[in-house]
Amino acid sequence: MSTIACGLLLIAIFIYVFYPDRHPEAQIQKTRLDFLRERKEVLYDNLRDLNFEYRAGKYPEEDYAAQRAALENEAAEIMAEMDLLERQTLHSA
Amino acid sequence: MPAFGSFALLLALALSGYNLLAGAIALRQLATGSRGRVSPERLAETARRAGIGSFFAVTSAAFALVWAAFANDFSVSYILHHSNRALPGAYKFAALWSGQEGSLLLWAWLLAAYGFVLRARHKVDVKLTAYASTILSGIQIFFLLLLNFAAPPFALVAGTIPQDGFGLNPLLQYPEMVIHPPMLYLGYVGFAVPFAFALGALMMRYPGDKWIHITRRWTMVAWLFLTCGIFLGAHWAYSVLGWGGYWGWDPVENASLMPWLTGTAFLHSVMMQEKRGMMKNWNVWLIFSTFALSILGTLLTRSGLVSSVHAFAQSSIGTWFWAFLVIVLVVCLFTFILQRDHLKSEHKLESLVSRESSFLFNNLVLLAACFTVLWGTLFPVISEYVQGNKVTVSAPFYNRVAVPIGLFLLFLTGIGPILAWRSTSFKSIRKNFILPAVAALVTAIVLVACGVYPLKDQGTFYSLMAWSLGALVVTAVGSEFLRGAGVISRHTGQNIFASMIQLTRRNTRRYGGYIIHFGVVVIFIGLAGSAFDRSVEQELNFKQSMTMGPYRLVCQDYSQDTNPNYDTEYAILDVYRGDKKITQLAPEKRFYQASQTTSTIVANHSTLAWDLYVIYAGKDPDSGQPIIKVFLNPLVAWIWIGVVIVIIGTFVALTPNMTAAYAASRSRLPVRETPEMAVSKGGD
Repeated sequence: MSTIACGLLLIAIFIYVFYPDRHPEAQIQKTRLDFLRERKEVLYDNLRDLNFEYRAGKYPEEDYAAQRAALENEAAEIMAEMDLLERQTLHSA
Repeated sequence: MPAFGSFALLLALALSGYNLLAGAIALRQLATGSRGRVSPERLAETARRAGIGSFFAVTSAAFALVWAAFANDFSVSYILHHSNRALPGAYKFAALWSGQEGSLLLWAWLLAAYGFVLRARHKVDVKLTAYASTILSGIQIFFLLLLNFAAPPFALVAGTIPQDGFGLNPLLQYPEMVIHPPMLYLGYVGFAVPFAFALGALMMRYPGDKWIHITRRWTMVAWLFLTCGIFLGAHWAYSVLGWGGYWGWDPVENASLMPWLTGTAFLHSVMMQEKRGMMKNWNVWLIFSTFALSILGTLLTRSGLVSSVHAFAQSSIGTWFWAFLVIVLVVCLFTFILQRDHLKSEHKLESLVSRESSFLFNNLVLLAACFTVLWGTLFPVISEYVQGNKVTVSAPFYNRVAVPIGLFLLFLTGIGPILAWRSTSFKSIRKNFILPAVAALVTAIVLVACGVYPLKDQGTFYSLMAWSLGALVVTAVGSEFLRGAGVISRHTGQNIFASMIQLTRRNTRRYGGYIIHFGVVVIFIGLAGSAFDRSVEQELNFKQSMTMGPYRLVCQDYSQDTNPNYDTEYAILDVYRGDKKITQLAPEKRFYQASQTTSTIVANHSTLAWDLYVIYAGKDPDSGQPIIKVFLNPLVAWIWIGVVIVIIGTFVALTPNMTAAYAASRSRLPVRETPEMAVSKGGD
């Protein structure tokens, strides 16, 4: 009984592991552009949070303005780099 | 069945070995662009499937052991030593993790189960998951090597097979013991997943911080299980060990606390990496340390390295664990040195008064607590190695350091949400800090007026601090909810309560976190009550009475009972408050026949104000009179209530956010344009 159970387990797992898969998932390398897109989303989130907290009365006007300017500058830098990379990608294509 | 179990474990080892080898070759080929006879994608896919296959193999082995327990197969040495015929079914199932070999099998099975989920969800990021899967298989190989060669759970009894087993340790025959160890292990093992992702991301120089986003739920789930495991253990100690407390700084308790502390630090500091691209080195080492401490925890529990009331195994597998720990740390260090330029921070700390600095302090405090606990736990081992005699560190050492640290942490919990990212102006501090500070001050004044004098003794001072800081945190958290709900209420026309729910659903991570902080305050309120614990012990014969606080206990009877598993001796006590009988308690002392050992079953009358905790301590050997010990422990129920709130908060934080569009569709006002909806979203 044990021998049959061992045999069945072995065969079932062997078939599962080595059964040919015609379309294995490709392992795509993330690019700098992907990273910048993620950072942009994070910065947008940070901006939304800042706006929300300002509207909730958490920050004085001058703090809000300074924080917002810093986040917008950072977002602008990221978008400029994204623009450059996208143009380079277009040229190389 | 034993043969099937042994075979399944060997098969699982082979599959994990293949997962590691084929996975590593495929990743190497993909990194260098080289190709073998089989495409690297195909090879990586077979490695992933081998990992999934190992889950089925380890599950088969675990099933075989449980089957052997229920079938009373005493030819298996493990079953002979941890079960007996009269043992109730639930404890036969729990026998799976009550001994060394079984608990290692549980570790391996849980790791395989986590690995199964990770590999099944590989499409979230195929390459990163392939790295994580390969690393997990390396960990799995260690546990399977132990199970196959050092601590085999299916080892057979030599010679004549006894008719009955030696039974389960009586301390483990308690309902919570059926779920406490799996919870703890789910926590320990769960940290292997974020560890594998972090190490994988570092090895492949993963661009960006999305790996943190992918592993956030894994980390929270592991943290939740560990939290539940720790508090279930505390409740078990309170109910079974019969010394009147729930936390004794026992090495095994400490072992579970250490990864919890670093895991909590990690959960906080990753927010800095996600939001600001900071603390990358720190975060990587935090999760490496958390995993290493989980392994150390298992080592302490299972090797008998330190003396503990609940180190249920003594063995030589410690060497294996030390070797594994060294390998893990060397791999982590080597990878870190090789790839450290990849972990450059994108920003620097701009101000000491900012959200970032509060997270930093929070981390430093948690790490200081962890180091204290680690030092105290390992001190007996170190002192024995250096001096030749074991010097044990007791509770006062831990309390002297941990209590102030805990209070500072509570203070940070209160001020953290008030501070802004980057820097906070004095005007902003004044605006947000006054109300919580006033709440703390008023609480302190009221408590002093009620007789809690801070200069009476150190315990009273700390309790006063804990309750006042609790008021600070609750006010800070409450004002965060009210302010946010106010914005939504103005925006949607909903009432403040509905707005609060919507606010939470829009940013579950942030507001779930606040609920957790509220739960932590409730736990601290309960812990602070321990400064006022009282106890009395006396001989109590039939119809005699004793008094504790507002309660009077009258002995109604002493009785004995027996069942196939144990003999029991118990007292029946009527409890009066004034002239009114409020309950009847029956503290017990049990004698387990199979293991020839005794255990205490505490009787507890719990209210929000205090626990009336009663122990039947047996009979006085000289007078033959029964001895009853009574404790009056204030506010203990608050600890368990706080834990439930923490669990609820964690579930909220694990729930995906409601989208802004869906939220707008539920409001009474017409749907607004996207920027407006985005602005009304709660912050993080």
